[in-house]
Amino acid sequence: MNGLHILSELLLMPLIAFVVGLMMVLMMRKISARIQRRIGPPFFQPIYDIVKLYGKDTQISHGLIHDIGIIMAVGGYIGAEILLPVPGMEGIADKGGIITLSYFLMIPSLGMALGVGQCANPNGSIGISRALTSMLAYDVPFIIVVFGAAWHYQSTSLVGMIEYQQMNSWGIVEMPFLATAGLFALQGMLGKQPFEIYIAPAEIATGPMVEMSGKYMGGLFVMQTFQLYTAGVLYASLFLGGGESWLSLLPKAFLVVAIPMSIAFMFPRYKTEDVIRILWKWPVMLALIGLAFIL
Amino acid sequence: MNLLDQFFILIAVALLSITVLRNFRINDKMAPLWYGLMVVMLVRMAAVAYDGATLTSAFNIEILGFNMHWQFNALSWFFAIITVVAALASAIFMSGDWGRQYRELYEGQGGNYGLLQLALILNVASMLLLLASGDLLSLFIGWEFVSWASFLMMVLMPSKTAKKAAVKYVVYAMFGAMALLAALAIIYSNSVSFSGSLEFEQITQVFAGMDKGPQFSLALLFFIAFAIKMGLLPFHLWQAVAYAETPGPGAAFLGAISSRMGLFAMIIVIIQFIGLGHLQGMSIGLPFINMQTLLAWIAALTTIIPTYIALQQHDAKRLLAWHGVGQGGYMLLGLIMFDSIGSAGGLMHVLNHASYQAALFLTVVAVVYRTGTSDLNKLGGLVTQMPLSFLVMLIGIIGLAGLPPMNGFVSKWMVYRSLLLNGEPLLFVAAVLGTLGTILSVYKLIHNTFLGQLRVEHQNIREVPWSMMVPMLGLSAIVFITGFMPGLILPWIASVQETIGLPVIIHHLGGIEYAKGGLDMIWVSGILFYGFGVGALIFYFLGSKAKRVHQYDNYAGGHFLSADVKYHYSNNFYPGLMHLIGDWYRGSFKWMEQVIVSALSFVSKLFENMYRSRQPVMLLVIVVVVALFSIYKNTAGVSS
Repeated sequence: MNGLHILSELLLMPLIAFVVGLMMVLMMRKISARIQRRIGPPFFQPIYDIVKLYGKDTQISHGLIHDIGIIMAVGGYIGAEILLPVPGMEGIADKGGIITLSYFLMIPSLGMALGVGQCANPNGSIGISRALTSMLAYDVPFIIVVFGAAWHYQSTSLVGMIEYQQMNSWGIVEMPFLATAGLFALQGMLGKQPFEIYIAPAEIATGPMVEMSGKYMGGLFVMQTFQLYTAGVLYASLFLGGGESWLSLLPKAFLVVAIPMSIAFMFPRYKTEDVIRILWKWPVMLALIGLAFIL
Repeated sequence: MNLLDQFFILIAVALLSITVLRNFRINDKMAPLWYGLMVVMLVRMAAVAYDGATLTSAFNIEILGFNMHWQFNALSWFFAIITVVAALASAIFMSGDWGRQYRELYEGQGGNYGLLQLALILNVASMLLLLASGDLLSLFIGWEFVSWASFLMMVLMPSKTAKKAAVKYVVYAMFGAMALLAALAIIYSNSVSFSGSLEFEQITQVFAGMDKGPQFSLALLFFIAFAIKMGLLPFHLWQAVAYAETPGPGAAFLGAISSRMGLFAMIIVIIQFIGLGHLQGMSIGLPFINMQTLLAWIAALTTIIPTYIALQQHDAKRLLAWHGVGQGGYMLLGLIMFDSIGSAGGLMHVLNHASYQAALFLTVVAVVYRTGTSDLNKLGGLVTQMPLSFLVMLIGIIGLAGLPPMNGFVSKWMVYRSLLLNGEPLLFVAAVLGTLGTILSVYKLIHNTFLGQLRVEHQNIREVPWSMMVPMLGLSAIVFITGFMPGLILPWIASVQETIGLPVIIHHLGGIEYAKGGLDMIWVSGILFYGFGVGALIFYFLGSKAKRVHQYDNYAGGHFLSADVKYHYSNNFYPGLMHLIGDWYRGSFKWMEQVIVSALSFVSKLFENMYRSRQPVMLLVIVVVVALFSIYKNTAGVSS
């Protein structure tokens, strides 16, 4: 692994993630439009949105931590993308592994929480309180799934897991229960209905985003593109055999992300305590059954 | 005279100097210097830490045929360096402006600054004595000293809660000491060769010669003694309140390392000399539950229950103190796995926890210094007034929550990795549950203190003076650097593992080497900071420049915000979660404690009434009954 290769990974991995993530946002909007019998936005709408948000004249900052929060939210995900192996680029990703990546994914949440806290708006703080509670809810099944996968593949390295699946069979075939539980946790992780109380527009003035405008909102938009990409690729690497090439990886990633989106627009939302109750009951039960099969 | 003897002499001189000079101003300048010298001495002894050599002190005492002796090996050195650095930070912190304020506020009302300085050096000296113990008897003596020294520190705050908590602690500590003494007596009377020795090696021999029943009770006695000091379940009730009510820097010191003395003793007795074989041999009830599983589950529950108690606290010091209890669970959980990665994680967590816990405690004390309160419902928005303290707390909470790139992540990662390798899914989930609870709780801590609305009465406060800032920054530097390059301390861990007979970890500067998934923190931190750098570039170079607005310039649904509107969201921070789990806080352990207390006081009242009663006839009847019973018993034995 030479310097040029490292440099290309550092630059390309987040860039690809961003572009793919934008397309996933577009897909999300198209799916919701089709479900609601609308046409949906044009192809370049996500880019227009980002340009609009960054290009606004008035940018309101509530202090340095507000800025740093956005930087941490975007930067944490940029780091996470580099730890997520994709075809042809897995040199640096091998330095981390699944446990490190799981904890990397909490840094953007922490950054956003700090930024919102500095805004001194109780609506925002209530939103963060709900968001962190949801994190507690979906991370429990997620972590059991991670444990099961790491135990099954006898490795914490995502590269090793992908290799195993490409030589044997896909994780979803060998661990169907864990894969289902993982999909369930994904719904919470992406903050999609019915688990989206903390960002729902109809709830307490949109919660965490209440003081976010202009490029602050733009930063969160970028964060969302990364989030969708991470969810899709991570799930594909854990259960769908990763990808020999981009051509086989991307359809899997889009498919994974399409599932929670299609489900989402058919549901209202649960209260915070019900989010925990449901995520600690059904996916945890499924995941434990799955564990019992592989241990 | 070897280095260890010189070290002891230094401690003795420091103790003497601080005892004599404690009420003079000169002591403020000299006390930190003594701790600095101790650090220098420990650095000179670094051969112990790197090569795993043992230094034996020339100082020893012969009593009744025992030879009590003291020695330093890698394990002692590892705990000693943490102790002394934590003491150094606390001493610098308390010797400047904080000390002046403490004198003004509490001198003459139950507080005593000179005694606080004395309590600190007494704690350090007794801990070092304990860490240097070379046999069970010197361990016991060090144990007692540590208990009473902590007690002295806890009573220096003029509040009823503090005194009550200190007394509660000392009752627990005495119970633990009695358990330890009983264990020693069993070891002594069961010595295989009847030589009556109390060397550590006797533990192994006595254990090997015992049946399952006595083995279990001996292990239980040791466990009770050490678990009380460490605050493991079910003995966790005393610690948090007692530490939280200790005067500021004292709390930081005690919270950082004091209760880890229990872990130190546990490592020697349970890990090193009882060993994995015996622990697994002691099956309890069902065949798959043995002593190792039991201890692992006690550790896991210790991470969960105190962490979620911390989540409910609304006093910053108590919140931190409860986390201190909870983090002890990770240390034992790692060590009890008996493999190279897990035990390294457990050991490393001692150092990591000490660094961020001391930094966090000192930050909270700094906030109290400026605002006069640590009540999380009466603070808020201090980041604009105390930005450096905010930075220290931020680094500290990232460490405590165990997120990259701080040192808490490295040790917790190792514990998780070990649980994965050993195939312990439920323990793994328990450990992660503890971490998630910690994240929720520390966000509440930093949000309610430094973020949100700044109160009117706090609008003129400033950052704390440098005498307080320097130790805080120094500790957070340790948190960051040992997270970035764990390889700086991993050689010490490796020698400790070698000393106590565990598999040794393979390490490099960035972390650990392991075939199927290691950890390289230099890469991990590098990637993270690269991400932050790109994030900063995007933020600052794209889009127009942001305008700073006042905190009252806020969306409030059509209302006008002004200074007299209190809208900081702080009380009952996680209502959704508490709706669900609020009913699970039943205080069962508290209830159990109260039951024991009332039962004991009932029995004591009973005996008190007996010997105070002026009814000779009743006493006579009792004596006669006892006498008749013993005669009957003896004759029954003879006739059969």
